[in-house]
Amino acid sequence: MTTAEATLAAPSGNTAETLSRRDRRLGKLLLAPALAYIFLLVALPFLLALFLSLTNSSAGSLDFSFVGLQNFKNVVTNAVFLRALRNTFIFTFVSQLLVMVLGNILARALLKSFRGKLLVRFLILLPWAAPISLATLGWLWIFDSTFSVINWLLKVAGWLGPGQWYYWLGDPTLGMVAIITVHVWRLLPFSTVILLAGLTSIPAEVHEAADIDGAGPLAKAFQITLPMMLPILTVAILFGVVFTFTDMNVVYLLTRGGPYNSTHVLASLAYQEGVLGGDVGRGASIAIFLLPLLVVLAVVMLRVSRRAEVV
Amino acid sequence: MHTRRQFMLQGGKLVAMGVAGAAAGPTVFTRGAGAADKTLKILQWSHFVPSYDKWFDPFAKEWGAKRGIEVTVDHVGFADVVPRATAEVAAQSGHDIHMFIGLASAFEEHVLDLKDVVGTLEKKYGKQVELAHRSTYNPFTKKQFAVSDMWVPDPGNYHKKIWTDIGQPNGPATYEDLVKAAPEIKKKYPNMQIPIGIGLSQDIDSNMAVRNMLWCHGGSIQDKDGNVVLNSPETLAALEYAKRLYSVGMTQAVLSWNAASNNQAFNAQETSYILNSISAYRTAQDNNLPVLEHYFFVPALKGPTGLMLASEHVMSGYVVWKFSKSQESAKEFLVALIDASRESMLASKLYNFPSFYGAASEPAQPMSKKYESGAAWIAKQCNNDPFGSKPVDKLALLAKALPWSTNLGHPGFANPAEGEIFDTYVITDMFAKAATGALSPKDAMTEASNRTKEIFNKWRKKGMVPGGPKDR
Repeated sequence: MTTAEATLAAPSGNTAETLSRRDRRLGKLLLAPALAYIFLLVALPFLLALFLSLTNSSAGSLDFSFVGLQNFKNVVTNAVFLRALRNTFIFTFVSQLLVMVLGNILARALLKSFRGKLLVRFLILLPWAAPISLATLGWLWIFDSTFSVINWLLKVAGWLGPGQWYYWLGDPTLGMVAIITVHVWRLLPFSTVILLAGLTSIPAEVHEAADIDGAGPLAKAFQITLPMMLPILTVAILFGVVFTFTDMNVVYLLTRGGPYNSTHVLASLAYQEGVLGGDVGRGASIAIFLLPLLVVLAVVMLRVSRRAEVV
Repeated sequence: MHTRRQFMLQGGKLVAMGVAGAAAGPTVFTRGAGAADKTLKILQWSHFVPSYDKWFDPFAKEWGAKRGIEVTVDHVGFADVVPRATAEVAAQSGHDIHMFIGLASAFEEHVLDLKDVVGTLEKKYGKQVELAHRSTYNPFTKKQFAVSDMWVPDPGNYHKKIWTDIGQPNGPATYEDLVKAAPEIKKKYPNMQIPIGIGLSQDIDSNMAVRNMLWCHGGSIQDKDGNVVLNSPETLAALEYAKRLYSVGMTQAVLSWNAASNNQAFNAQETSYILNSISAYRTAQDNNLPVLEHYFFVPALKGPTGLMLASEHVMSGYVVWKFSKSQESAKEFLVALIDASRESMLASKLYNFPSFYGAASEPAQPMSKKYESGAAWIAKQCNNDPFGSKPVDKLALLAKALPWSTNLGHPGFANPAEGEIFDTYVITDMFAKAATGALSPKDAMTEASNRTKEIFNKWRKKGMVPGGPKDR
């Protein structure tokens, strides 16, 4: 390039640079509301919770003193906390396993054409749209210890004899079963929609090529569908896991952590101790106890998301 | 000492620097100047007897209208009263008056000392009932942190036909009667799900029921001086009793009950005895349920020690927040509310009992006669229920409920430690674990006692709860 050519080319380079700078500015401007939202409503309360967990703060007071890791030391020796920690893992992994299996079945069924498909889709999505407090009240009656619809049906069907009864919310094991059932019912639509999107994104030509090569259903499932679905499947699982780890609604509305604090998860126990009991420091320490694990999950989630973009 | 408000203000910088604690200083709160009490905001529970709210809201608004004050009344469910208070304290804004239905003592630091209001009321009506005093005053800090306008008795509700069929037409009189009756009820009514319906779950009614059991066996959480005495032979006796009762007369259903469950079970005739105020009975009346003709009441049951005690079912505690900009109006309103004690009791269909009996007295009574006159008026209502009881004196025993009713924190005063123990279900869980065999009675007691001492010590460090040297 001659000097003259370079001189002539300079204005157009500047223009591109200016436009690029403007784009960057516009980008920042458009991102600002989202960043402000995340900072004010997620990051700040989170930092505050982290901070409060190191204090003896109580609900009725604005004063506090630093107690270091004392709150954590106190809770890790507490039997109720240990039970809640165990329940959190059971609640999360069992419900996610069920959601993935059932979601997959439903998604595959919805891929097929059949009469009433629209109605079925609507019914499947209904739990996602229903307010959880309202829906759980319905479930509360279904699992009620005295008036359980399930029990009365089983009795009429002859399954339950005289004196036999399932105390869904009065038994620690059945209580967890009830909690997991409602949570699965609640998360299933989301998972189904995600998996359905994943399945429909696999080009038909890939399956056709596999058919020509003589691949059977198992080979197609494990060598085509699963690998191509993996990124979206991982995102769905990680989202579900993080969501379930931090959720307290179903537990609180169904059993309030009972009987005798045996069905608490960490989030509901944190609410009981921190808000109802007024021990904010202790509640905060319970709430953020799984923070290291969730950070690892979040990092994995971000990496998988990036991988999904490539696909 | 630091404050959350300061932390919020300086938060980002402090966290980033990692020196949050050292950087913050003491709080200074100043009231908004010049606010001329043009508004008054009241946070009130949604009453268990809905007719009360229909009376209260217009009453408050009319009171304000006469003074040029715009009164707003917001209702929340009973379970949201404490979380809402927590949020308002954290925000340092919200309502002017906040009604608690249990203990307000944890919020003592952020409420006005209402000694002047109680002083005014005592000059007008004489002393308030002792359990109201013990629920709203902290003798350790000498602060009148709340004012109570009403309390609610907690009698036993029994199914007369069932108890007549087993030869006890007047219902149970002692805790031992329940254990003896349960197998007989099972025999006569094999389809009845829960012969004896005393809750052992994480809910408000169970919280009271297990305290009744504990007290009547001679045990308590604290002594009168605030020492933790839960670890005792008396507590152990109460737990052994609960285990016996559970094995003969109860099922796992009682471990899952919420505040409405015992009402529903009794009204569906699936149990023969519950501990509850008269709200369940009023529901049965309103819906003309088949149980109505068999619905009767007994006083608190006697324990083996001869003690006969029941916790109040509800104890109102009105506080005025320090951040309120209408403090004088708030205080005046509380006096007006207690002036209207008769209307309040009638609007609640005899659910509310006045905390100042003198406020229900006949007009122009001398001070020395006011308490007596008020008590006579209350008895007259109970002996001749204006809300359609058959027989009309079905609620007569409520007029005599005061001697067997007591406050949370018995035999001491209510305090924040008792409140936290109540709200985190330490005692109900102890009873549930012992009754079901999840833990032995001794282990359940030890576990609860350790947690209780931990909670008391925490509040003692804050200088709000007495005792300690004689903890067991």
